Amino acid sequence: MGLTGYAIIALNGVAYGLLLFTVAAGLTLIFGVAGVFSMAHGTLYLAGAYTAWLLVDGGWIGFGLALAVGAVVGTVGGTALAAVVQPLAGRPLDQVLATLGIAYIAGDQFSAVFGAEPRSVDPPGALAGSITVAGHAYPIYRLSFIALAAVVAGVLFWLVERSRAGAVVRAVVADPQMAAATGIRTGTVRTAVLAGGGGLAVVGGVLGAPVIGPAPGVDTTILVYSLIICVVGGLGSIRGALLTALGVGQTLTLGVALAPAAASFVLAAMMLAALAVRQRDEFAHLRGPA
Amino acid sequence: MTATLAPVDTDDLTRPRTGHRRVPVVFTVIAVAGVASVAVALPWLVNAYLVSLASTALVMAVLAMSAQLPAGLTGQPPLGQAAYLTVGAYTAASLATLTSLGPIQLAAAAAAGAIAAAITGLLAVRARGTTFLMITFAVGELLHAAANAWAPGGSDGTHTPAVVPLPGLPPMVLDGWAYLYVLVCTLLIAAAVAVLVRTRFALLLRGIASHEPRMRASGHHTDRLLLAAYTIAGGIAGAAGALTITVTRYISPADAAMGISALALAAALIGAGSMTGACTGAVLLVAARDWAGGFLGGHGPTLLGLCFLLVAYLPRHRMTGLASLLTGRRR
Repeated sequence: MGLTGYAIIALNGVAYGLLLFTVAAGLTLIFGVAGVFSMAHGTLYLAGAYTAWLLVDGGWIGFGLALAVGAVVGTVGGTALAAVVQPLAGRPLDQVLATLGIAYIAGDQFSAVFGAEPRSVDPPGALAGSITVAGHAYPIYRLSFIALAAVVAGVLFWLVERSRAGAVVRAVVADPQMAAATGIRTGTVRTAVLAGGGGLAVVGGVLGAPVIGPAPGVDTTILVYSLIICVVGGLGSIRGALLTALGVGQTLTLGVALAPAAASFVLAAMMLAALAVRQRDEFAHLRGPA
Repeated sequence: MTATLAPVDTDDLTRPRTGHRRVPVVFTVIAVAGVASVAVALPWLVNAYLVSLASTALVMAVLAMSAQLPAGLTGQPPLGQAAYLTVGAYTAASLATLTSLGPIQLAAAAAAGAIAAAITGLLAVRARGTTFLMITFAVGELLHAAANAWAPGGSDGTHTPAVVPLPGLPPMVLDGWAYLYVLVCTLLIAAAVAVLVRTRFALLLRGIASHEPRMRASGHHTDRLLLAAYTIAGGIAGAAGALTITVTRYISPADAAMGISALALAAALIGAGSMTGACTGAVLLVAARDWAGGFLGGHGPTLLGLCFLLVAYLPRHRMTGLASLLTGRRR
């Protein structure tokens, strides 16, 4: 394979990385702000992907409808998750079990409704073809996806790191008690973040369906990669999540192409390095009250 | 510090045992003898399907003890124990080409599980609480991916010959004999674990669960203690792997899936810090998933999910009450 071949694979890696970022950014905020390690996050992606499979019909209307439905499903789903974990506040392990239970039930029901075989989702007709990039055919949808996801990443970055609402969210990440003492309604912020994170995951699923199509087990895959991105990027950090997601995307595409055997271990090594560099007490506030 | 993760442990440590309502010893003896005789007589009492289900339940009980060691004693919940089960199972499967002798496979599988846990545990023991759980989960999934990529047979898995329990005996091709062998191995492992939880080492681990800074201040290397506990837990999980291929004579990467790890952790939580409770929890969850799930048109995962929700919402101390009612004492 020539150099341009690898460049094409690297471009796939960017698409994959940005897709993972869209999903993982929600999880990192949920974990950072609400202290909830939602095992149902991958399930939300899968819900989005199946929504796309149901509604995307090759036209713009179906695509737009899928996006709108996905946004609603995600926001409602995220709010419902917030309601589910609310009575378990301060019991992180029970929150994990509860969200895991939901992920199990949802995964089983998805299989019952949509079948056990993988489904493929075609992008809207206008984006379905491919163009020639440096002598290689490349799907237009992936390029548009990269552009769109870059916009999403930019908006999210601005929202969290620069806007006033983001400052409130970051304050709750940094020190929930102090934030509450300054008059911030931490409960509302938590619910909003769970709703927003859920919306991102489901919309990510709708947009990502042509890249990572709906199939049983996709929820776990997405959850694991999101988790690695959260751990390596630092909880609650959008910048860290973006950089790590791009790294994971390259590892999963370019890494697999260059050294198939080592790719999984590169991910483990990334986690090891991140944990070795970081002080353990960064996660102290997530361990619950002393 | 980990009060929210291991509320019952601290409860167990502080509650004076004398204040507990005593069950007369004779009842306990009768109950244990009754359960033991039913367990031994099971192959002659029920059909082959239920015997293989009971074998699965025993394997999961061993895995639940493996999860309970870090979760119940140190207050650090692991969500990747299935990975070490798979390491043990593949080790036993590879060894099966050389010897069919069960005890050798069991020992090799336990050693392999312990080594895998010692290496991957380096990643996990720096973290605490939910982060520990996340990292063990991610490590478990990475091992799952590795098994898919490299394990003999790939994602299709590999078949193994029937295991010989002791030199000179025939291979155990009948489910009933495999069940009895697994029962004996499970009891031996449980006895070893029962000794372990009464050692000074276990007391140090409980110390970490209740107040880690104080343990560090008194000169204990808490990370090393945690790593040791995690390594032993990996060894127990590896042994469960050898028992898996004794029962099914088959291993595939699917055995490393999150569902198995989650079941082990949920069983440990049902046990609320107690090893007996963890085993009981494992038996109940396997019954819910495989037996009751069978009546619901194969919707075992949905039933298991409902069980997880139930475990999450039920107040933990009530379950300790249930466990103490079942076993007649607090452990």
